[in-house]
This record gives sequence, structure tokens and C-alpha cells, in this order.
Amino acid sequence: MERHNRIWRAALLALPLAVFVAFVVAPLLTSFYYSVTNWNGYSSNYAFVGLANFTRIASDRLFMQAAVNTAIWIVAAIALPTTLGLALALLLDSKVAGARIFKSIFYLPICLSAVIVGQIWIWIYQPDWGLLNAFLSHFSDRPFHYAWLAKPGSALWSVIVAWSWQQTGLSMVIYLAGLTSIPGDLLEVCEIEGATRWQRIRLVVLPLLAPATVVAVALSVINALKGFDILYIMTGGGPFNSSDTLAMHMYNESFKKYHMGYGSAISIVLFLIAISVIGLYFRELRKVDRIYG
Amino acid sequence: MAQLSLAGVRKSFGVLEVIRGVDLEIADGEFVVFVGPSGCGKSTMLRMISGLEDVSAGSIQIDERDVTRVAPSKREIAMVFQSYALFPHMTVAENIGFGLRLMGLSRQEIDRRVREVATTLQIEDLLARNPRELSGGQRQRVAIGRAIIRNPKIFLFDEPLSNLDAALRVQMRLEVTRLHARFGATMIYVTHDQVEAMTLADRIVVFNGGRIEQVGAPMQLYERPANLFVARFIGAPAMNILPGALYSTLFDKLGSGPGRPQLVEGVASIGVRPEAIAFTSPADALLSGRVEIVEQLGAETLCYVAIGADLPTVTVKASPATAAARGQNVGLKFELAQAHLFDEAGLNVSLPS
Amino acid sequence: MGERSRLRLNPAHVAIFALLVILAVLFLLPTVGVLLSSVKPKRDIAMGDLWSMPSSFYFENYTEVLSNPAVRRYFLNTVLVTFPATIASTALGSLAGYVFAKLPFRGANALFLTLVSGMFFPPQIILVPLFRLFNFLGLIDTLWPLIIVHTALGIPICTLLMRNFFATVPSALREAAILEGASEWRVLTSIVLPLSLPALAVLATLQFTWIWNDFLWPLIFTQSDEKRTIMLGIVNLKGEYSVAWGIQGALSIVASLPTLFVFLFFQRYFIKGMTMGAVKG
Repeated sequence: MERHNRIWRAALLALPLAVFVAFVVAPLLTSFYYSVTNWNGYSSNYAFVGLANFTRIASDRLFMQAAVNTAIWIVAAIALPTTLGLALALLLDSKVAGARIFKSIFYLPICLSAVIVGQIWIWIYQPDWGLLNAFLSHFSDRPFHYAWLAKPGSALWSVIVAWSWQQTGLSMVIYLAGLTSIPGDLLEVCEIEGATRWQRIRLVVLPLLAPATVVAVALSVINALKGFDILYIMTGGGPFNSSDTLAMHMYNESFKKYHMGYGSAISIVLFLIAISVIGLYFRELRKVDRIYG
Repeated sequence: MAQLSLAGVRKSFGVLEVIRGVDLEIADGEFVVFVGPSGCGKSTMLRMISGLEDVSAGSIQIDERDVTRVAPSKREIAMVFQSYALFPHMTVAENIGFGLRLMGLSRQEIDRRVREVATTLQIEDLLARNPRELSGGQRQRVAIGRAIIRNPKIFLFDEPLSNLDAALRVQMRLEVTRLHARFGATMIYVTHDQVEAMTLADRIVVFNGGRIEQVGAPMQLYERPANLFVARFIGAPAMNILPGALYSTLFDKLGSGPGRPQLVEGVASIGVRPEAIAFTSPADALLSGRVEIVEQLGAETLCYVAIGADLPTVTVKASPATAAARGQNVGLKFELAQAHLFDEAGLNVSLPS
Repeated sequence: MGERSRLRLNPAHVAIFALLVILAVLFLLPTVGVLLSSVKPKRDIAMGDLWSMPSSFYFENYTEVLSNPAVRRYFLNTVLVTFPATIASTALGSLAGYVFAKLPFRGANALFLTLVSGMFFPPQIILVPLFRLFNFLGLIDTLWPLIIVHTALGIPICTLLMRNFFATVPSALREAAILEGASEWRVLTSIVLPLSLPALAVLATLQFTWIWNDFLWPLIFTQSDEKRTIMLGIVNLKGEYSVAWGIQGALSIVASLPTLFVFLFFQRYFIKGMTMGAVKG
């Protein structure tokens, strides 16, 4: 039996692993290699430069800006869509009429491409006739013409809000799934013991949602790290790189400025950040699993 | 402790009626067991008493107070669930004190009362543990602790022993009995196991298809089942039910003479308990047959006797010393006068009125 | 939860419903805006009136979009990438997931974690090497890199979801079949997969949506207009249609229809699938 198993293991894993190794692992390792060269992306003439790319990072003002923005994005990712998704899930869990329709409405944006989401929000943020300014104009005596995407102070946040609009549905679905895994009789105990709705949520539901929270937060953070498409569409990292994230900065360096070696170094840093997040995720998950089993 | 009254209680889920008119009075301090096959409505009935399910029609009164539309937490009841429903993220102490915490009592007060209850149940050294670390029996005690601590008027148990293995079940059964003896509270206990019903109850309520078949003390149900359903349900091994067609034959075999019972009309089924049948010589026998299977249980032996092609197998409870063996031809004897006779509708027509 | 008496309207429920309606409206606004703009004649929009009700319903935007040969080409390209990649990644993920669920071995956990962590990396990390690889193979500006990369990047999540689902299929089924002489392949295809249709539906939907909507890889791997996919095409057409917001709106709607349709179709499997796959580590 064991021999039979061994053969089949190899046979079934062969193709998936081969594809994964060839097109994900190998390129990853190659990135490591490029990061220590000064390759420009097209010539075959390049040299090994050791850690020069990495030290350059330390003095790269744009990198620092991008790093700060990435950090902001990550924090916002946890605060906005994850929390809102949780709130929506809790609201929708109370057997309210039309729950299915509401769920679909909140989940809908996920089906849209980042390109389209970006475009929609460009229209919302349009200084002269965008929805946001039209709405805000009602509250002031003069028409409101703020250029959300064109001002360095607000560009990043504008994109984050647009991105959150899309991400919320995902968090909501994760929390809804988590809610279904809470045993019904625990909630009935709450009814018998006389817990108010808020007591029930605070003392029983939220703690038992810990596994879902780990997943939701991890997913939001990872998606924030990956966030590129929507940024590219809405601001391209501008104005003046004020909304750059590490992913955008890497793209600019590699494909716009032809500093492929340096770009690879940046991507390695991004990789390390991602690894830490993943490590944290698995550790938290294991901890939570042990408690709630 | 309180008295409970159910009047005309009905329950429907959509078009499906699961409780079809239940009237019941439960006295203060009584231990009542709801028993019946799966789907008979006993759990639904319990949940309606608790308030977790609404009543479609009828009323529920606790101590003369109409609680039919009152929220569960205001009925002064406590419930022990089949799964015990202990919060996995709270310690034993937090689990027990949960209700008190909701009421806003001070931390010291909660600690004091939790400790008191835990000592009563002998789980005071488990207070800091998590439910995951406890055995089934310990978890049950925590669940009971949570129930006791609020001094409820009525305790409700929803099949609490179903998840335990056989040995533990016996032990826990004794605990429940001790609990009742100690607190004297009104307890309503749901189970599908008639052994639990027989051993625990002051009175048993037999449910079937949303209706009450019979209410009475355990021995009452055993000795005078009101109908075929109760007769078959109570008692293990189950009562033998013979077709009514045999009645006249059996009656004739009794011969004439003193002590001969009256002939009963309209007998559709005859019920005889395995323990009421004895092996005898063919001359003396009412029925004869062939032993198919012999099960030796140690304290007793069960023999399954085939008495005819279209007739049911008869179960006979014999002593361990019995000589009956597989394949043997035997004669069976029992007191026809003491057999239970059921009419077409399943009613027991042999009960003394 | 037991039923609650519906004799009086529960005030809490009413409040929750109202709150949800407000949030739903806010959430729908952006999408509704695009929808409205897509049926507006140019005249309305030129007057700067993107967000109001249209003066008349103007479907010419849609006919214009659908008759544009470039758009048709983009759609075709996207289909040619999405369908094969969805099928391939789901299939490969099923194979791998099956091994991890039913044929465990020492070190399987570590390998599984490594595979799954592939779903967390920002794709930027392998952008450059992949570009170089496909450049070397002469495949830049064809659809092949897109199919291959999406398949490869889809393997982690497909493996994760399918493994979690396969774990819920009782091992006894597999063992009984093997005792009867079935090969492992037979078990997988005749027994386990048919039982897994809900999970496969969810997975295929996720993959389809993700691949159809993707923008980054087409941006990197295609250069000529011939090979663009629809999302890239939309960006490209922004220049051509510049202030024709109505047409852009119509184009956005049309481009989103496949994913919307797939989602609505498989909607009921979604929450169930999420429960099985995502919330369990």
C-alpha cells in the first residue's frame, strides 16, 4: 500500500509542482540574483555589484516615501475594509429581511476589475463634476472643486478609499463564513442567560470570530501589499510620487527607468515584508486554533 | 422550584404540525422525563418550555404566571444542552459565572458564588481550566454549575448523556439523581433512552408524533401501559406482541376451571413481556417453537424462539442456568390473564378499570 | 435561534434594516453612476452631468462599444487566456490538494505551507525574471505567458481550497474503492471530484474573476494592440475615447458582465465555499 501511495503521490504532484517551481520559485530565486547586479533589463552586459542596490535603498528618498505609503496602506487596510466588513457581517447575521440581496450588493465590487473600480472612482473624485464634490458642494456656499487625486496630500488616501470600497465585500464574506461556524447552542445559552445583543456580540461572538479575524486581516494586508493595479490607474503613483507604494516604486524603477537590478532589490525587500506578514499569520492562526480548536 | 402547567400547546413549523395539543401538569419538585422516539417532539416541547421556540397555540404557566410570550431569560429556567454548550474561549469559572456577569454583579460576588457552586459539584480545582481540557463528565458538571448558579425555578435537560460512553452514562445518571435529591428542584429531562427514563423519573411522559401517549410513574407505565406504543417502548427487551388471531387458540388451551379469565372481545394484539414467559413441557405449553438464538448476558439469558412461519419471534428472558440451547424445540408458558390485550386502535383493553 | 414573535416589529430589526439600506445605497452609488453614464447621450455628459438621471435612454454607447473591432479582439484575447488558465489552475490545484488531503507524507505540511504562501507574494517580485524568461523564449506579445503565469500563480490558492475540501470527504470512501481494485486516479475522478462540485464551483469562480480582471500581467507581457486583454484595452481606449464618458461607462459595464454573471450564477456556493476554504488555516 505504501508503495502504491508513493507512486501516486509523485505522479499527482509532479505537474503542479513542476509548474509552480518553474514559474514561481525559479523566478523568485532569479530575482535574488538580479538584485545583486546592475542589469538594465535589455542588454546582456551587466555586472555583479554586491549589495550596492540595497545600500542605495537606504538613501533613496523615493523608497522611503513609498515605504511610508505602503505602511499607511496596510494600516488603513486593517482599519477600513476589515472593520467595515465585520460590521456588515454582524448586521447581516441578524436574520434581517433581504439579507441575500444586501450580501450581493456589498460583494459586487469584488467582481469588478481594479481598472474599472479605478475609473469609477476617478469619476467620483473629478474636481468639477465628480460625485464627491457635487455632494460636498451642498454643504458650502461656494462650489467645491478640490482635486482629490491631483493633490499630494490626498492622492494616496483617495486611492485607499476606492480600494476599501472593493475590499470590504471580501472581509464581509470571510466574517459571514466565520459566523456560521459558531455553534448555535452557544448563542442559545446567551438567550437563556439573558444577554443583550451587544453583550452577546462582545462576550461570545467576537472572541469566537478570532480565526476569521486572522484570515480577514491577513488577506487585507496581503492585498494591500500587492495593491498596484488600482494605484496605476488612478494616480500612477503621483502626483510627484506622493502616492507611490513599494510595488509601484519597483515597477517604476524596473520598467520605466530600466534599473532592473535595483528594481529587483526593491522587490526583495517587498518579499521580506510579505514573508514576515505570512509568518505572523501562520503563528497567530496556530495560536488561535489551539484555543478554539 | 416551581410548578409548570401546559394547556393545549401546539406547535407548527410552516404546515408541519409537530406538537398536536399537549396538556400537562408538573408539580413543584418533580423529576419528569420526556421520552419517545426520534422526531416525536419531546425536544421541541422542552425548547418551548424554555422559550427558545415560540408556541403556536396554547399556554405555558410557571407558578401560575403565564410565560407563553416571555423571553427565556425572564422565565427563571436553566437549561443543560446535549453538547453542554460551554464557551471554548472562557475558563470554567467564566463559564459558570456567565449569567451573573451579564447581570452586572461585582467581581467578588461572582467569584464567591462560582466557588460555592464549584465546591458543591466538586470541580473547584478545575475553575481555571478550559473546557477543552475536561472530560465529558467534568464538562457536564460545569454545564450543571452554570445552570444552578442562577437559582432557577425549573431545570431543563436536553439529552445531556447522549454524548457519553456507556460506563460514564451510568455514573452521570447517578449524579443527576443526586442533584435532584439535593436541590429538590423541578426538573424536566428529555431522553430517547427508556432506561434513563425509568431510572431517573418521578413521572414519565411518553411522546409520540407530537402527542402524549401516557403519563405516569415508571412502574405504572411498565405494568399498565395504556396502549401498544407505550407497551413496546417501555421495558427492555421489548414486550413481545403476538397477533390477535392467536387469542382464541390460546384461550381454548387454558381449558375450563376456576381461575379461568373472561374472554375478551376484539383483541387485535397480545402483549407478553419476555420476563413473564417460562420454558415448560409441551403438554403444559401455550405456544411451542424452536430456539433460534441464545444471548448470554451474564445475569440473564435471552432466547429468541421461532413459533411459526408467519409469526413474530418470541423473546424469552431466562435465568443463566437455563438448559435451552440453539435448535432445541421448546414449549412456552405464560399467564394469559396477565397478558396485555390490545384492540384495533392499540388501546389496552385488559387493564382493570 | 428560535423564532421570535412577529406580533410587533422588533425595533432593533428595523434599525438594522435601515442602516443596511443606507450602506447599500452608498455602496451601490459608484456602480449605479457608471450604469447611468453608460446610457447617457454625449450631450448630457458634455454638459458635465455625469451623475444625474439621463434625459433619455441612449443605448448607442453600447452598440458603439460592441461593434468596435478592437473591443471584440480584446474580449477574444481575454477569453483565450481566462478559460484555459482557470481550468488548468483548478485542475492542477485539485491534483495537489488531493495528495495533501489523502496521501500525507513526512514533510507534506512544510511543502504545503510553502506552496500556499505563494499566494501571498506581491507578483512584482517575479515580474522581472518572468519577463526575461518569456523574452528569451520569444513569447512576449503572445498570450502564452498570461496563460502560464496565471495557472502557476493560481496553484497555491487552488491547492489550499481543494485540500481543505477534500479533507472533509471521508477517507473510508477512498479505502473502500481501493479495496475493490480502483486505482488512485479512479478514486479521484469517479468518487472525490463528483463530491467536490460546490468547492470546484467556488474555486473556478474566484479564478475566473481574478484572471479576467487582471491588468498587471497583460501590461507586462503584451505590447501590440493585437494581443491586449480587455482590462488593458479599457485603459488604452481611454485615450481614444477621452471625454466620451458614456462609451467608457458602457465599455466598463460590458467588460464586467462575464464576472458578474459567473458570480451571480454560483452565488449560493460562495459562503459555503469560503467556510471550507478560507477560514480554516
